[in-house]
Amino acid sequence: MTPDHSARPEGRSSPAAPGLDRRSFLGAGACGAAVPLLGAASAAAQPAVAAAPDVRRPLDVKLRINGQDHRLALDSRTTLLDVLREEVGLTGTKKGCDQGQCGACTVLLDGTRVLSCLTLAVMAEGRAVTTIEGLARPDGSLHPMQQAFVDHDAFQCGYCTPGQILSAVACVQEGHAKDDAQIREYMSGNLCRCAAYPNIVAAINQAKSEMGA
Amino acid sequence: MSIAAPEPKANMGRPEPRLDARLKVTGEARYPSDVPVGNPLHAVLVTSAIAKGRLDRLDTEAARAVPGVVEIFTAENTRELKPLEYTPGGGGASTSVQGLGPDIAHDGQIIAMVVAESFEVAREAAYKVKATYAREAPSASFGAAGLDEKPAGKEFPKAGDAAAALSAADVVVDAEYGTPTQHHNPIELFTTTCVWDGEHLTVHEPSQFVYGLKNSVAKRLGIDPAKVRVVSTYIGGAFGSKAQLTPRTPLVALAAKRLGRPVKLVASRDQGFTIATYRAETKHRIRLGARRDGKITAYTHDGREVTSRPDAYKVAGVSDTVRLYDFGTVATSVNVVHADRNTPGFMRSPPVVPYVYALESAMDELAVALGMDPVELRRINDVTKDTVSGKSWSSRSLMKCYDEAAAAFGWSRRTAEPGSMRDGEWLVGWGCATACYPTHMAATTARVRLLPSGEVRVQVAAHDIGTGAYTVIGQTAAERLGVPLAAVTVELGDSDLPPGPVAGGSTTTASTCSAVIKACDAIREKLVRAASTANDGPLAGRSPSDLSFTDGRAVASDGAAESVADVMQRLGTAALEEYAEYIPHGVQQDGIRKLYSGRAAMTGGPHGDKIMYALGAEFVEVRVHARTREVRVPRAVGAFAGGRILNPRTAHSQLMGGMIWGIGSALHEATEIDPREARYVNDNISEYLIPVNADVPRIDVIMVPEEDAEVNPAGVKGLGELGNVGTAAAIANAVYHATGKRIRDLPIRIEDLL
Ligand code: FES
Ligand code: FES
Repeated sequence: MTPDHSARPEGRSSPAAPGLDRRSFLGAGACGAAVPLLGAASAAAQPAVAAAPDVRRPLDVKLRINGQDHRLALDSRTTLLDVLREEVGLTGTKKGCDQGQCGACTVLLDGTRVLSCLTLAVMAEGRAVTTIEGLARPDGSLHPMQQAFVDHDAFQCGYCTPGQILSAVACVQEGHAKDDAQIREYMSGNLCRCAAYPNIVAAINQAKSEMGA
Repeated sequence: MSIAAPEPKANMGRPEPRLDARLKVTGEARYPSDVPVGNPLHAVLVTSAIAKGRLDRLDTEAARAVPGVVEIFTAENTRELKPLEYTPGGGGASTSVQGLGPDIAHDGQIIAMVVAESFEVAREAAYKVKATYAREAPSASFGAAGLDEKPAGKEFPKAGDAAAALSAADVVVDAEYGTPTQHHNPIELFTTTCVWDGEHLTVHEPSQFVYGLKNSVAKRLGIDPAKVRVVSTYIGGAFGSKAQLTPRTPLVALAAKRLGRPVKLVASRDQGFTIATYRAETKHRIRLGARRDGKITAYTHDGREVTSRPDAYKVAGVSDTVRLYDFGTVATSVNVVHADRNTPGFMRSPPVVPYVYALESAMDELAVALGMDPVELRRINDVTKDTVSGKSWSSRSLMKCYDEAAAAFGWSRRTAEPGSMRDGEWLVGWGCATACYPTHMAATTARVRLLPSGEVRVQVAAHDIGTGAYTVIGQTAAERLGVPLAAVTVELGDSDLPPGPVAGGSTTTASTCSAVIKACDAIREKLVRAASTANDGPLAGRSPSDLSFTDGRAVASDGAAESVADVMQRLGTAALEEYAEYIPHGVQQDGIRKLYSGRAAMTGGPHGDKIMYALGAEFVEVRVHARTREVRVPRAVGAFAGGRILNPRTAHSQLMGGMIWGIGSALHEATEIDPREARYVNDNISEYLIPVNADVPRIDVIMVPEEDAEVNPAGVKGLGELGNVGTAAAIANAVYHATGKRIRDLPIRIEDLL
């Protein structure tokens, strides 16, 4: 199942050991949730994988997203990010790299921030997924963090914004928003190419008091 | 008011929050890949693993055997696509390398596209496509064998006898500078979704020029452009990377047509490095000659820029740098160096970023050589008449910017000696540099509709790439028609709307608002006439020039007023709608026709009767650790003058974001290339370093009030490209001041300072 690097489906240049990067793991397949990510490399490299169950056969997956249950039949390789966007139609969660580098895909899993592009959908079963669409109150009034982002113009193109906001909510809840320096450090996993960073820090400072932190 | 939304000064509008703010914080703003389409197929690209040679064989058998694969597109079955002529900028083809082989012209060239029922299956199958090549040794960049170097044009700016002036100069600086390959890396990936409805194609793709894309796609498909619609309502960052037709779009359109279903492509981050454009690597030799008293007498600048083998892309920023000061004499040249690379293109603040970096570094070297304060050197050489053309400036506030920024920064406390401002373990350096950007105006149209309720709708196929275009266009219409901003709806980014300019070169606000003003004024005129020529009514018989519009009413100077609803009733109409065309002075009368056919018609900068530029002064503090040589930028101050500022909030964000781009440019960003394979090796955003939150210090943005009635009806010079132009030089100059080491090649890294 080693991918052929004579051509480059994702442009990856000469990986140190063919087949050991995350892309080829997800691309070439392993046996779904049973294989923890860290063990993936060795699993994918072993011929035993050939005998693994058909990854393409749909798995029944139940996800709880923004308080609503969804029953889905999924290719076991599908990431939580792609399920949200392509299956459930919640496109507020963004794909900026699909490899854990930008933070645009940040969602909350039982209140903890995770990168949904590095989370297989099956790994989210039985846990509460919160996306940007689930943050405002049911009456439509904005979460204090959303309002603070508006007030401080904490975005330009807005593409990184859903991830920034969810990350910011978690950052405050974790107690990592004590001062500007700490906010900057704990928000550095969310890239903003428009570079709204100082305004993001100001927004978090405003929202944290309203969030009771 | 907050830092993000500064109090407006003279000649500035209100710092309104963005019209699209709520949509952007709730996830409801639909970027092109978010738009739901019925039952789409998913595409994954396969790209070349060699940079030069021939694709001998493409074995797709194993890939086709993956259940769920629907079709694989290769050179064989995409021949019907018509080749397009390469056009640098302006909505045409971004490269002449459009086919999927067999000739390979750069690493990462698209050689196949797998289309399948799901993204997972398409990706799996893409890994199973096997390519066999006849590889040739590529030439990657400067210094490689087999490059082809040519002059980038016939003539470059020149004035007087620079050689003679140099030999007569008291002081001469002669130095070489370099800037690296850089990639835009907007956080949104390069995506395309194509949907056919019979003969009609809709393309959902993030675009800085929907009319350009529409027309170019149609040409490549060989169909009538009237049958193509491009929708790009929100764009997740662009910075120049989404202004042209790249090879992926016609491919996706063809696939959707042939397979009878929508096809969706989300190219991977690493593919984005080779399937679109980037900032070219450049080298510069600069000589500055001056008298003892600081007056510059000669400036020569020879630039060299890397481009692809087939396309002579260039920025040739000497045509801007020669305007900056009173140089006395000038001699310039620009060469392009053809290598086996993908074709570069515009990236935030072409053409000035590399050229101004080089000149502003040389200016600092000259100040050091003269033993003069660098701000004073700029003052002595401030210009009123252009050295090359003799034209005067429409307005020029450079020294005002320097004075305001210097005062805010505390520049007077600087001691000139390098290394003299040490703070414990840290070597402190202060540096400054000039920012400039040519004021561009483009031909554009707009349609405005006013309802009796006071609701206004503005339509133009311009683009909001994060600049705040929705908001400033809305503010312009609201102000002109005397209605609250909340009553205005702005529609952009759809080629079914009247055409707007390419969102590049800081043209959007100046041009689009000028067209919107024209349309609004036509509506006002109708209202004024109806109100004043009526036989009865509160404004009957008034002179039209006596009437103004506010709060949904036409008001005379003595306070007599009539509501817009009543005036419209008098007119017997349920809506007033006007379509306007704005053709800037200097653009030919066929500019609008060209725009409809997807070609941008632009003017400004040095090309008009007057020299028109937005200017700024940037000051930074760097701290270099005495032992580890880590470089930090704890604070930066920029003062900018860009004519009328329509919205200080969005303007502040653009300038601040620009300065942070400049910090990235100076200290972080470089696309590394493997010279043996002409391949980008850090083609991802963890190894291609862009600034993160922890890198960003305090940024102070000062907007200097400036009035310029000559540039355009809106009085706007544009800001999007300005903020990052001076930052890199200011940082390099500050690094010299901290350490005594002059680093002339960007980015400046720890290893340069050891
Ligand atoms: S898309 Fe998940 S981190 Fe970038
Ligand atoms: S707002 Fe554009 S990437 Fe953050």
